[in-house]
Amino acid sequence: MDTETLNIHRDLIERCKQGDEQAYLRLYKLYAKAMYNTAFRISGSGEEAEDVLQEAFISAFRNLADYRGDASFGSWLKRIVINKAINALKKRKHELMPEDELFDVADEIEERDMPELTIERVRAAVMQLPDGYRSVLSLYLLEGYDHQEIAEIMRITESTSKSQLSRAKNKLKQLLTLKTNHHGSQN
Amino acid sequence: MDRKIEDFIRQHRPEFDDKEPSGRVWAEVRNSLPLGNGWIRSLAVWRAAAIFFMAASAFLLWQRVGESKGEQATLREFQDVEMFYNDQIAVKIELIEANSNAEGALNGFTKDFHQLEAMYQVLKEEMKARPSKQVKDALVLNLLIRIDLLNQQLHKLEKSTLTKEEGKNAI
Repeated sequence: MDTETLNIHRDLIERCKQGDEQAYLRLYKLYAKAMYNTAFRISGSGEEAEDVLQEAFISAFRNLADYRGDASFGSWLKRIVINKAINALKKRKHELMPEDELFDVADEIEERDMPELTIERVRAAVMQLPDGYRSVLSLYLLEGYDHQEIAEIMRITESTSKSQLSRAKNKLKQLLTLKTNHHGSQN
Repeated sequence: MDRKIEDFIRQHRPEFDDKEPSGRVWAEVRNSLPLGNGWIRSLAVWRAAAIFFMAASAFLLWQRVGESKGEQATLREFQDVEMFYNDQIAVKIELIEANSNAEGALNGFTKDFHQLEAMYQVLKEEMKARPSKQVKDALVLNLLIRIDLLNQQLHKLEKSTLTKEEGKNAI
């Protein structure tokens, strides 16, 4: 990523550092929605996601002096949000991984058996995934992290990240297929 | 390796961010902003506000506030507000107590705080005896000033912890 992209909000950040409340609000508005959705997908709870968002912004704004522009502000903030969301989830669940035995999935589902995908159905199915699967899948497919980064964020091994993603995708297919069949049988 | 779901999610990535946070989040973030010049948030200004508030409260107590039809409603309304702010105050006090180990570090702060608390108790008695909007407003203002004093104190403690850590790192 080039320097210009990294420092896209440099002026805004500089104004924040000088205590300009309007600049803080603009920065918040630019990122709040995306960060809230990221937190929501990991925590699975709207209330918890709001707490995470609040803590993350407070922490980022207070530590703005430490932000030196060597990563984009968005990725820096996203990393704070994700860390806080994972910690909140771990606190609540005690143990995030492994959950293979609890939520073992059926055999591989063939692509051709998959129903037509819609945003609403995929979104709902993602939220139905067990916490660990949902976190890995969200980080990989929606937030764009690779397995090495996911391993570091979730304090798991890369191979666990890979196997969880594979299971998560299979579980997702299962949920989407079941849902369609269920709706079909009701009609 | 199947890619149908992966491709679908990547193609429609922006549509997966469909939820909006409530206004509560910004309100809380805003309260914690390290605002620049900071004169309005400085402890000195709030001390002056606290002194002014105490004088105003004393004046209010000398005034006989007549009974009104809405007295009981005002009292109930105040009890809800009081519960809400008291919870916030309790959390902040806990945080301050957990983070202040230097003896005497809280002297100036606790004096102001206790004076406000004492005035609050007097006003609360007045509220019980003769509930009115004026006394309710004075009570709420007292709670808000205490919350701001606590926020200031927390901010000071945070700054001093950071300075200590930086000092250690420098060594």
